[in-house]
Amino acid sequence: MRYLVISLILCLSGCAAVPVTASFPAAPAILMERCPELKTIAKDQVSIVDFVKTVTENYTAYYECSAKNLAWQDWYTQQKKIWDETK
Amino acid sequence: MIILHLLPDAFIAWFINIILIAGAVTTVAGFFVKFIPFVNTYRIPVQIAGILLLTVGVYFQGGYSTELAWRERVREVEVKLAAAEKKSQETNVEVITKFVKKTKVIHDQGQDIINYIDREVVKNQEVVRFVENCPIPEVIIATHNAAALNQPIKEKK
Repeated sequence: MRYLVISLILCLSGCAAVPVTASFPAAPAILMERCPELKTIAKDQVSIVDFVKTVTENYTAYYECSAKNLAWQDWYTQQKKIWDETK
Repeated sequence: MIILHLLPDAFIAWFINIILIAGAVTTVAGFFVKFIPFVNTYRIPVQIAGILLLTVGVYFQGGYSTELAWRERVREVEVKLAAAEKKSQETNVEVITKFVKKTKVIHDQGQDIINYIDREVVKNQEVVRFVENCPIPEVIIATHNAAALNQPIKEKK
């Protein structure tokens, strides 16, 4: 029985897997941040100047978020190319 | 084959070669050497032992060669993965640098426009007259807020 167990263990030892694993890289934290909410006007009465300022801030927020989205696409495309080259 | 990972390469090669040589010598002795009394007396067992040793030696040699081939392949893959990881890190830095620069430009341009509003637009006579005489209707503010929040407009009745 003891020899049978030893033989089985030896046989099973032939099933060792190749010890190389790779995983797709994690995205940079800065690209994982969510885009900010757009600003609203809190007061009932507001001057046209403040109104335009809020609109400008929102446009800026949009362009920042758009840049982040483009950076995401750029990051993914390049990382996928590198990943595919390893196969 | 996991056992092969635990033993030093030189020891495995040495062990296999010893078995192979012993097998070959014993086989040759068992079949062709007749002048040694011990071999001549135990001819059959020596032949069997020789063939067994030779077979086991050849089997181990094959297994070891395959193992070495796999190790070489693993080394190649590891080198390839290390290069890919380095390239991936460089790409990360490149993408983030580009993004940070672009975001700074966007932010600065937005800030420039707000500064321009504070500095120039507020002094514009037409704007001053507009601010004094034309308050922005609540419905415009409500519509703007609804658009900013992407929510339906709550109409006041």
